[in-house]
Amino acid sequence: MSGHKSRSLAVFLITGMLVAGMLTATILTKSWSLFTITILGAALFFFYMDFEYSPASAREIGLIAVLGTIAAVGRVPFSALPGIQPVTFMVITTGFVFGPRAGFMVGSTAAVVSNFFLGQGPWTPWQMLSWGLAGTTAGLVRNRWPRPGSAGRVLFCFAWGYLYGWIMNTWFWTAFVHPLTWKSFLATWAASFWFDTLHALGNAGFYLILGPRMIKVLARFQKKLQVELSDP
Amino acid sequence: MALFEIENLTYFYPECDTPALKNINLHIEEGELLLIAGGSGSGKSSLARLLAGLIPDFYGGKLAGRVLFRGKKLSELGPRLLNTQVGIVFQDPEQQLVMTTVEAEIAFGLENLGLPQGEMFRRLAEVMGFLGLTSLKQEFTANLSGGQKQKVALASVLAMNPRVLILDEPTSQLDPLTADEFFNLVERLNKEMGYTVVLIEQRLERCFHLADRLAIMEGGKILRSGPVREVARWEAENSLPFLPPVAKFFAMLRAPALPLTVKEGRKELKKLYPSPPAPEKDQARPARLLPVPATRQDKRVVEAKNLWFTYPNGKEALKGVSLRVNRGEFAVIIGENAAGKTTLLKQLAGLLKPGRGRVLVMGKDTRTTALPELARRVGYLAQNPNTCLFQDTVEAELRFTLDNLGLEDGGVIDDVLKRLGLLPYRQTNPRDLSSGERQRVALAALLVAKPALLILDEPTRGVDCRLKKELGSCLAGLVREGLTVLMVTHDMEFAAEYAKRIIMLFDGRIVSDGSKHEVLGNSLFYSPQIARLFGGTVDGVLTVEEGLEKISANGELSPCLATKAGL
Amino acid sequence: MLEHLFYEDKGVLLQNLHSTAILGYLAVFFTLALLFSHPLYLAGIFLVGALAVVTAEALEKWEAYLKAGLWMALLVMLINPLVFHAGKTVIWRSPALPLLGNVSICLEAICYGAAMGIRLLAVLTIFCLASAVVHPDKFLSLFSRFAYKSALVVSLATRMLPAAARELANAREMLQLRGVDFAAGNLKERLKKYSRLLDILLLASLEGALQTAEAMQARAFGSGPRSCYRRELWRPRDLLCLTAGCLALVFSCYARVKGYGDYNYYLQLGVLVPNPASLILLAGILGSLALPLVLSWGWKHWPYLRLKI
Repeated sequence: MSGHKSRSLAVFLITGMLVAGMLTATILTKSWSLFTITILGAALFFFYMDFEYSPASAREIGLIAVLGTIAAVGRVPFSALPGIQPVTFMVITTGFVFGPRAGFMVGSTAAVVSNFFLGQGPWTPWQMLSWGLAGTTAGLVRNRWPRPGSAGRVLFCFAWGYLYGWIMNTWFWTAFVHPLTWKSFLATWAASFWFDTLHALGNAGFYLILGPRMIKVLARFQKKLQVELSDP
Repeated sequence: MALFEIENLTYFYPECDTPALKNINLHIEEGELLLIAGGSGSGKSSLARLLAGLIPDFYGGKLAGRVLFRGKKLSELGPRLLNTQVGIVFQDPEQQLVMTTVEAEIAFGLENLGLPQGEMFRRLAEVMGFLGLTSLKQEFTANLSGGQKQKVALASVLAMNPRVLILDEPTSQLDPLTADEFFNLVERLNKEMGYTVVLIEQRLERCFHLADRLAIMEGGKILRSGPVREVARWEAENSLPFLPPVAKFFAMLRAPALPLTVKEGRKELKKLYPSPPAPEKDQARPARLLPVPATRQDKRVVEAKNLWFTYPNGKEALKGVSLRVNRGEFAVIIGENAAGKTTLLKQLAGLLKPGRGRVLVMGKDTRTTALPELARRVGYLAQNPNTCLFQDTVEAELRFTLDNLGLEDGGVIDDVLKRLGLLPYRQTNPRDLSSGERQRVALAALLVAKPALLILDEPTRGVDCRLKKELGSCLAGLVREGLTVLMVTHDMEFAAEYAKRIIMLFDGRIVSDGSKHEVLGNSLFYSPQIARLFGGTVDGVLTVEEGLEKISANGELSPCLATKAGL
Repeated sequence: MLEHLFYEDKGVLLQNLHSTAILGYLAVFFTLALLFSHPLYLAGIFLVGALAVVTAEALEKWEAYLKAGLWMALLVMLINPLVFHAGKTVIWRSPALPLLGNVSICLEAICYGAAMGIRLLAVLTIFCLASAVVHPDKFLSLFSRFAYKSALVVSLATRMLPAAARELANAREMLQLRGVDFAAGNLKERLKKYSRLLDILLLASLEGALQTAEAMQARAFGSGPRSCYRRELWRPRDLLCLTAGCLALVFSCYARVKGYGDYNYYLQLGVLVPNPASLILLAGILGSLALPLVLSWGWKHWPYLRLKI
């Protein structure tokens, strides 16, 4: 385990150095869009490296891939309803059951994989981060409060509808709007307000309809992730 | 010393009280092809996993007894050595590929072994050359056909250079032609390359003759193992179903020899029919096309009139199909892959709408009738029953259909459950049932709506012979009660046994349509094994029973009558 | 929609480059689009991007990007004048509005918005190009050396997606024939129906995860230190493309240091071409960026070039 720890320390250090280097560069060029991209890249790098050095078994990798696939595939039949898609909900539920690391991986995988089929865009890394963070925070919430009420979880799903929109707006805002003030941020926020509200409502709706059942199904499956050998 | 020695082995899956493997004793010799047969749930797959070391490494559970590989305990080999000695190909081509291109897929195992770059290149080159995969090198694995996927799975195992190949029903999801191709490969690997092969299979008629030894499993036990003919004869004596039709036929005749292939069988048959009848004058008798009998309007259940259909991607799937199915018919659609079979079924069920032409279901045009209304008349079962069951109990599953279609219960749930033998499982979760039972639940969920027409897409795929028999007699019973059944299958033995009418599709067109004796009897390659056995000798024989009847009608053969009585 | 990859093999040169070369080239392209704010520079980059899309025979795919992009560009052009009012050239001053007060729309903000709109389109074009010429496997193989578990998760999910999409379509059809009408009902009812689909898919797929894991273990996954299979070849064309990218980057850095790439929108619009060197440098940058496209064209039409690179 100590080897594992020292390696994650090294990952921390490398990430830190990279970020510091890029930040210096962005401050020199005074480009805020490059700045946000640096932060984004560093965050994704950190989360992925964290997964890389975790002792993930074949079963866990298979499970994460399957959940990521289901979340990704959900993007299409819903595209007729603007803003409503089950990805955020699926990712959050995964985080609730399997913890922050799996939550992040499922979220970011869903984003990148669905875009292999729909077409990558500048939004891809931001989707990876937003959905990844939705899963991570869900996992953290579970670690902190193992038994929250249903209302708390619905609220959490609802809130992520807006949070997702804000993270997605960040890049748009820093790259294409001038000046970067609260006022202009609010303007971009207002532009996506209805979209985000639908998203939030969709999340809450999905949780109310399917949440408890899905948590039950996933929790039952979680038991199958461990291998137990016993002597007869 | 035997390659594998299994001694007194008993195994329990985690949280299971009944053993999956019971007191297994088995030797596998270097270079042999061992065929393992048995029904589903007989422990065949568990045995395969045991030989590949996945039991207990991957599954956990309780294990008693020992497994020796070249005299050494399997658990002492370590995963790396084990993986380079024993390779396994699984049943489902969808689930065993992990990478996005064929080349990366084959390299995956080699990367895991930590081989150097040069060695990986060499092995990839050899394996892709041997299996003819070079042209697919850059293909996206998800878009390969089932047969190609299984070939890639085999290639990625072969690249790891194992001595033993374990094949766990590798062809159960493939159509017969692709399956044959796969078996040819297996034969070459065994006979020319010297691989030891453990083959677990349901399609015995296609691989029986390849085997050196045969083991029959049931309930986690090996009932008997030994040389193929010996075990086959023992099976015949104990009337076990795991025999190819030719062998079954001669075993029932109590013939002195037990042929395993059509070629051997025809030789034996000559002895029974010393002077084969002279060939009829008009050898090239053309098959009658479209013998559609004139029927009264009210008897027609579904009718396609000059139906054309092109998918949005430009593929023209149906080209002028005209078809009429009457009440109480049991019709089977056959044809190669991508011949348009599934498209035709979806058209008849109303899921797809005609491009040109019309489809009438009970006189209603599918283009103008809403799907829920059609759903009351047509039941459609897709290939994978897993995608249709989601309720927590069997009863809820049936009730779901009723509620959605706005129908009353009125005892129909009880009735359907009873008829399909599902009454004891009324409150069971469908996911806890066996695959055969699940299929029947899916069927029941359609039948509660009392449809006039039942459409099934390959219900026989990956189903063992016992369940096939159950399904066949269940459908036949429903047809007797007035239901119309239309299904697609690749299983000619099944079609010959239960269907009355066969429709052959090729490239989006109907090329042959008639009674099963007309179509299958005259078919060059789609004929069942028994028809090939009797081909040119006696006409109109498609199944073992028909064969026995014909033989016993031929009065000279007295022993047959005794056998017939013994049936 | 999810059954086929966005990437399609068209046999063009850009699809046949080493992953380092093509990704390096695209990264330079992307950085430049963000680095400059000068309208001529941005327009130039957009133009070369459009040419690249044509060279990659991806016009069809570009259409969808442009459709989405134009809406977003419009939004950019709208938001900027709304939030910035201090420009010198006021075009229109609104009467006092609640919350906002007097809003003045100024020319500078509109110009800035337009330039940013072009930047947005350029960025979208570059991503469209990247999606059309980089096979996911090429992209993943870049990461598989130092992040193989993550790369494996992504490739596994990519491989599973078409099957899952088919399964979803099947489940949908089966439900339709059991009386579920997906087009009917209000939002809540529809959500309920779609939830059911999701539920079915989840139940049907989870067992598959174990089978896949089993297959991975049977192929020695996690049995010890692993190696990495490299099959990409390095050819002269890769060197040429990478050099072209580097050259463009060097020119751009120079332009940036000299201040040519910047444009003063606020508080008053600056001079468009302050000195001819700015245009020469722009030509240099665009020329280097276009070099791989010229190669690609030559590769297709000139067998001799095909032989040599």
